[in-house]
Order: sequence, then structure tokens, then C-alpha cells
Amino acid sequence: MQSLDVISVNIWQIVISLCNLVILFLILKRFLYKPVKKMMAARKAAIDDEYAAADDAKRAAEADQAAWAAKMQEADSTAEGIIKDARETAEHRSQQIVAEAHERAEALVRQAETDAQLERRKAEADMKREIVDVSTELTEKILGREIRTEDHRAMIDSFLEGLGDAE
Amino acid sequence: MKEKTTAFRVVDALLLCLTILPIVCGMVLKILFTPPAEGIQITGALIYFEVPMPVQNLVITEAQVNAWLVMAAILFLCLYLTHGLQVKAQTKRQIFVEWIVEKSEQLTTGNMGDYFLGFSPFVAAILALSAFSSLLSLFGLYAPTSDINVVAGWAILTFILITYYKFKAGPVQYLKSFGDPVPFLAPLNIISEVATPVSMAFRHYGNILSGSVISVLIAAGLQGLSAMVLGWIPVVGEIPLLQIGLPGVLSIYFDVFSGVLQAYIFAMLTMLYVSGGFPLEKYMAKKAKRQARKQAKAVQ
Repeated sequence: MQSLDVISVNIWQIVISLCNLVILFLILKRFLYKPVKKMMAARKAAIDDEYAAADDAKRAAEADQAAWAAKMQEADSTAEGIIKDARETAEHRSQQIVAEAHERAEALVRQAETDAQLERRKAEADMKREIVDVSTELTEKILGREIRTEDHRAMIDSFLEGLGDAE
Repeated sequence: MKEKTTAFRVVDALLLCLTILPIVCGMVLKILFTPPAEGIQITGALIYFEVPMPVQNLVITEAQVNAWLVMAAILFLCLYLTHGLQVKAQTKRQIFVEWIVEKSEQLTTGNMGDYFLGFSPFVAAILALSAFSSLLSLFGLYAPTSDINVVAGWAILTFILITYYKFKAGPVQYLKSFGDPVPFLAPLNIISEVATPVSMAFRHYGNILSGSVISVLIAAGLQGLSAMVLGWIPVVGEIPLLQIGLPGVLSIYFDVFSGVLQAYIFAMLTMLYVSGGFPLEKYMAKKAKRQARKQAKAVQ
């Protein structure tokens, strides 16, 4: 077996070596870069999908939130309206009640006043009759005979009238 | 796929074996065919056989065969690394292979611009072929990069690429580039154009070859020293004990560091020369003009 000299140029060897590098370039491109880049592209697509899904979800959530906020506002305003209405009604009713109460109280007082007047009159009448009776009896006793009340009624009445006026 | 299937494991193991197999083959070939040597010899690659060809006989040497073995190993390594890629990276292997691809693309676009993104497999091919070829000497094999023909082939390919990209903006532009600062420097520019591949080839080849030559010389020298110092001891004296240590340390520099560094330099220079020679703006202007003309024609 022979060896080459340390420096020996051979054109065919140069050509072969050149081709070797080109072939290795193709090998690396086909068997290393292509699968790795394909996988990376797939990963990028997957990540993009994830991001798109996340964006969609976020948008949906935001829309939901907005809808809920609107609903809440609506509910708030409704509740406020209801409370306002209720308050108005209550005020109205309370005024009504107070007015009614006033009326009734006044009526009661008036009634009481009239009642009292009636009572007084009745008492006056009673007292008159009492007085008439007493005076009749006294007079009977004094005169010693029976006075007919019916006969003397007019007289007594006029007397009592004068008495009542004297009061 | 949490549980790896048996088939997956078998394919994995097979690919790993196929990655290692070429190197083992190279060692077997080396053991079978290397003639017993007397003393130290500094020769080129071993010739396996010659094929008659026009101009010059094609000699199939150790360097050629080792380069092919390296290529086979890289092919199976790629297959192993890309085996079982998943969208969700789970294995260290996948992270590693993604790191390789991303870094090489960053390196390429960082040095050459975004236009040359497609160049990254080529840069990676240069790096891998050159580095692994140089590292073959760690296995005691003949490093293909210490044969000038191998490196010259790569350098000529680089030269072809440089010229191709210079030509992209048109032949007039190409000729103009030689009279770049001032026209009378054209001869010097032509010389430097030709010198580019020559210097690249010689730099790479010279570094690797000189490393192995120095390693051989130092090993031989240590053998002599060992025989001189320890030769008087009956049995131990025959073993070159002083060869332990120093050659290993030197090997780290000459085989590992120098090999990887030269691969990096070669790839770097390729990138810089190709992108530096390419008049991107003029090319883009020309392309835009051509497109405008085409559109105008289409409108008519």
C-alpha cells in the first residue's frame, strides 16, 4: 500500500470533495432542517390557534361582562324606579291617612261636643223635671193637697224658664 | 405519546448504531490496510486504489473514504436527532436539535442578512463536515481535512458561490466590482479574488496537518526521551512511559480546539465572502425594475 505525498493535488479528489459538501448540504437540508422546521411551523400554528382561541374566549367574556353590566344597570334603574314609586305611593298614602285621621278626629270631637251638649240639655231637662217633681212634692206637702201636675205644668214651666234664665 | 413504544426504541438504537458504525468501519479499514511502519513517517493519505480517469488518475484514499464515513455518520445522526419530533418538545434531543437549527439560522442571518436564510443548511454542512472530519483524528483515523484536495474542493465551492452571487446583479456589475475603489487596482482585485479560495484551503488544511505533524513529532521525541531516560530498567524501559500525558494535552489543542476553530473560521469566511460580494441593493433594484417591466407587459 502506498501513501500520497503530504502535498499532492488531484483534480478528481477536489471534485469529489466539492460534491461531498453539496451532498451533505442536501442531506442536512432534507433530513435535519426540513423536519425541524416543519415541526416548528406546526408548533407555531398550534400556538397561533391557542392564541386565537384565547382571544375569542376573552372577547366572549368581555361581551358577557358588558351584557351583564348593562343588565345590572337596567336592574338598578328598575329598582330605583320601584323604590321611588313605592316611596311616592307611601307618601301619598300617609298623607291620605293623616288627612283621614284628622277628619275623623275632627268628626269625633264634633260628635263629642254635640253629645256633650245633648247630655247637658238632657241633664238640664232632668234637673228641671226633678225640680218640678221636688217643687211639686214640696208644694203638695205645703198645701196639703195634691196638685195636678198636668194642671200646673204651664205655670211651673214658666217659672223654671225664669229660673233657667236666671242661671 | 408518553410511553415510548418498543419499535421507537429499536429504531432509536439502530440509528445510533448506524451513527457509530462508520467510525468503527474507518478504524477497521485503518487497522487492516496500514502497513507496518518503521520509525516516524509523515505522509499523506493512504491510497486504497486508483481508478483510471482522464487528465489524472482518480485515487481513492483514506481521506476520501473517511470523508464519506463522516458524511454517513452525520446523515444517521440527523435521522437520530429528528426521530420522534413532537409539536410539544419533551425530550432533550428535540431541544438540542431545535437549538442547532435556530443557532445556525441566527448565525447565518446575523452574518449574511435575512436574504441568505436558505444558506443556513450550507453553513451547518461546512461546520459539521469540517469539524467532524478534523475530530476523526481523535479516533486515530486520518483526518480528511489534513488532505489539501478535500479542503480545496470546499474552497472552490465557496469561490463558485461568491462568483454566482456577484453575477446575480448582472455581468456588467460583476466586471465593475473589480475596479471598485479606483480602476487601476483591477489587477490586484483579480489576484485577491483568486487568492480567496486558495488562502481558505491552505489555512484550513495547513492548520490541521501541522497539528498532526507536530503531534507525531512530539510523540516520537517523547519515545526517544523515554528510551534514553528509562531504557536501563529491564521491562519498564521498553514502554515509552513519557508518552503518557503530554500528547493527550496537546491533542486537546491540535485535534479538538484547532479542528473546531478552523471549521468555524471556514464557515465564517464563507459567509462573509459570499454576502460581502453580493450587491444586495443593486440586485433588488434590478429585480424591482424587471418586475415592473413584466407588469407593464402584462397590462399591455
